[in-house]
Amino acid sequence: MTVEHPALALRGLAKRFDGTIAVAGVDLDVPAGSFYGLLGPNGAGKTTTLSMAVGLLRPDAGSARVLGQDVWQDPVAAKRLLGVMPDGVRLFDRLTGAELLAYNGLLRGMDPAVVDQRAAELLDVLALGDAGRTLVVDYSAGMKKKIGLACALLHGPRVLVLDEPFEAVDPVSAALIRDILTRYAAGGGTVVFSSHVMEVVERLCSHVAILASGTIKRVGTIGEVRGDRSLEQVFVEVVGGRTATGEELSWLSR
Amino acid sequence: MAVPVSTDATPVRTVSARHFVRLKLRVMGNNFRGQGWRIALFIGGALLGLWFAVSGFFLFALPGLTGEGQYAVLVAAAGGGLLVLGWLLLPLVFFGVDETLDPARFALLPLTRRTLVTGLFAAALVSVPVLAVLIASFGLVLTAWSLGGWSAGLVAVVGVIAGLLLCVAASRALTSAFATMLRSRRVRDLAAVLLAVTAALLGPLQVFGLAALREADWTRLTGVATVIGWTPFGAPWTAGIDVAQGRVWAAPVKLLITVVALGALLAWWSRSLESAMVGAASAGKAPVQRGVTGGAVAQLFPRIAGWARRDRFGALVAREARYWWRDARRRANLITIAVVGIFVPVMINLGGAGFVAGDGPDSTTSAANSSPVLVTISMLFVGVVAAVTLANQFGFDGSAYAVNVVAGVPGRVELGARMTAFSLYVLPMLAFVAVVLSIVLGRPGWIGLTIGGLVATYGAGLAVNSLVSVLGAYSLPETSNPFAMNSGAGVAKGLLTLLAMLASAVAAVPMVVAAALLGDAWLWLALPVGAAYGLGAALLGAYLAGDVLDRRQPELLATVTPRR
Repeated sequence: MTVEHPALALRGLAKRFDGTIAVAGVDLDVPAGSFYGLLGPNGAGKTTTLSMAVGLLRPDAGSARVLGQDVWQDPVAAKRLLGVMPDGVRLFDRLTGAELLAYNGLLRGMDPAVVDQRAAELLDVLALGDAGRTLVVDYSAGMKKKIGLACALLHGPRVLVLDEPFEAVDPVSAALIRDILTRYAAGGGTVVFSSHVMEVVERLCSHVAILASGTIKRVGTIGEVRGDRSLEQVFVEVVGGRTATGEELSWLSR
Repeated sequence: MAVPVSTDATPVRTVSARHFVRLKLRVMGNNFRGQGWRIALFIGGALLGLWFAVSGFFLFALPGLTGEGQYAVLVAAAGGGLLVLGWLLLPLVFFGVDETLDPARFALLPLTRRTLVTGLFAAALVSVPVLAVLIASFGLVLTAWSLGGWSAGLVAVVGVIAGLLLCVAASRALTSAFATMLRSRRVRDLAAVLLAVTAALLGPLQVFGLAALREADWTRLTGVATVIGWTPFGAPWTAGIDVAQGRVWAAPVKLLITVVALGALLAWWSRSLESAMVGAASAGKAPVQRGVTGGAVAQLFPRIAGWARRDRFGALVAREARYWWRDARRRANLITIAVVGIFVPVMINLGGAGFVAGDGPDSTTSAANSSPVLVTISMLFVGVVAAVTLANQFGFDGSAYAVNVVAGVPGRVELGARMTAFSLYVLPMLAFVAVVLSIVLGRPGWIGLTIGGLVATYGAGLAVNSLVSVLGAYSLPETSNPFAMNSGAGVAKGLLTLLAMLASAVAAVPMVVAAALLGDAWLWLALPVGAAYGLGAALLGAYLAGDVLDRRQPELLATVTPRR
């Protein structure tokens, strides 16, 4: 490729649900090879934005490109480059971990022998091999995140899009997920993930964007956005809102 | 440090059934907000219910209007008994129960079980079918009043309302109990066997009953009705008639029977409600089985789909095949097909033929009275019921369907694989039904006819339901009750199901026409023609609906994702 395309390029993405605006025109360029954190308070439109970027939710306006391939004009080509972990880890959870990986691999048109080998490695590394024949529906929250991540990684995507990968994950699993993502990014892959855990974002990301009320409020490398303050201070300032209680709720301390 | 727990001085306001009813109405109302088509479907369903209600009313009122008092007990006991039976069986087989108020949502609230049961019971009474049955059964009040004056009418009012309460309680208790059984992994096979045995018993009973009907004269039937009138099935409905006909002493006894039955059912419901509230947690974790053999791909493919290629199509088939067995909701549907598939054809062909040829020389020839047309029609019904299971096939997946959207599965592959996996279970079942029916009828030569008719209808039904499943999908609630419908719009969904069944039946009409016109030649042609027709229809359906699916994958995902 002669022209260097951004890993993910969003242009004017907008979506409204039943009259309320969820996302009001998001423009975002995720450079290839970057580790990109999408920050925002609850209900800011992170999930909606990412869903539109990966082809799960049709936008009312705007476009999304993955390494130059338009997600909505040429979904097959774009989806081939993507690995996605949607919000709430939507999986066919009445399969076992191994079955789920095999299903995802074959669905992506992979060779069965390669699927077997990679699935065994992933289950081993993510410490899910012990689960044996346990169905994913009986997994703990952390295990579900890990198997979701494994499904997204299995086919070796160029761009990884993860919705809240660190939500409800214990510290050990979180460290493991961080390590895998760091290795993936070091190998030339691009990671985009949403979160509202500042520590993780500060530690991992090369770039961040802060989303609030459906629009991008701050964007750039982590140094540019943070300046000389902590990311949390910037976040609270951008998002606004109340961080301390006043006179009310006196009955709490009765 | 211990915090002093103050039992609050201000008395807690008691929660009554009124709150539950208002909550249900509010949920129903919010469900309609901004969804014009839902309102339209609801009104359509309500009109349909009204139509049934009015015709039921006149049926029940007939003895009173015509003054033919001697049939009053018969109409009340038989009609009322059928109502109760319908409330018991229809939710299990077809429509599911409306779980607008999911018991699990109340698990954390400090409510006594009595409050909860009465509240949920009161909320369950707020529905279109209940209103329809209420209108219909007031025909009985009219009958009792015209035959025995106002006192009989008054008793009939009490009886009819008690009967209605009995219907609703019975349906809730039974579905809740079955849901508990199907949810638990350990006894799910037991539940399946139980349902199958019930089905196996229903057929012979039906035949027996209709044979008796043919033999008996009206006075003997009235005798049977009198007996039914003393069971919970008939007691509430006949109390008013008894007063009208001078048996005043019978009325309080019958009302007592009803109340006792009602109490027992509510107690039963309240027991199974407990496990419904604790939900999936009580299902117990499956024991961790080690010693997994083979690679991930080998594990994915169950034996039933072992023949499939290890590619995209094969993976879809394997996953669907596993889901039809592992998902309680889908398994309940498979059992339903087995139940309906076995007893309906037997009923239509043995009982129906006997009923039509009521004055036949002797009962041994009743089997011979069935005709190729009748057989084909009964097969058509089974095929339609089997295929309509797929009418909301994407709803079964829920938000997990996102996996297939992200992977960009082409619509035709998706639908073809789903049809294939479902057929792995259903086709052997249908073949079994066809063979058994031919043997029971004493016409082994008709095996081709039965299989041909079944496969043709089933294939046509697959085609119709593929399209319905893409265009008319809806989300199913994330409860573990396989019979649960989503909030409020149950009528609309029942209507959609009926529509899909009707369309499938129409698509299969050529088979009935051929059976009627071609005579004996059709006995030989039915199998190849039916198989080709069914396969062709299914392929065409996957082709056309697949195109539609390709264009609206994200929209489909949005409609099957449960709103939280």
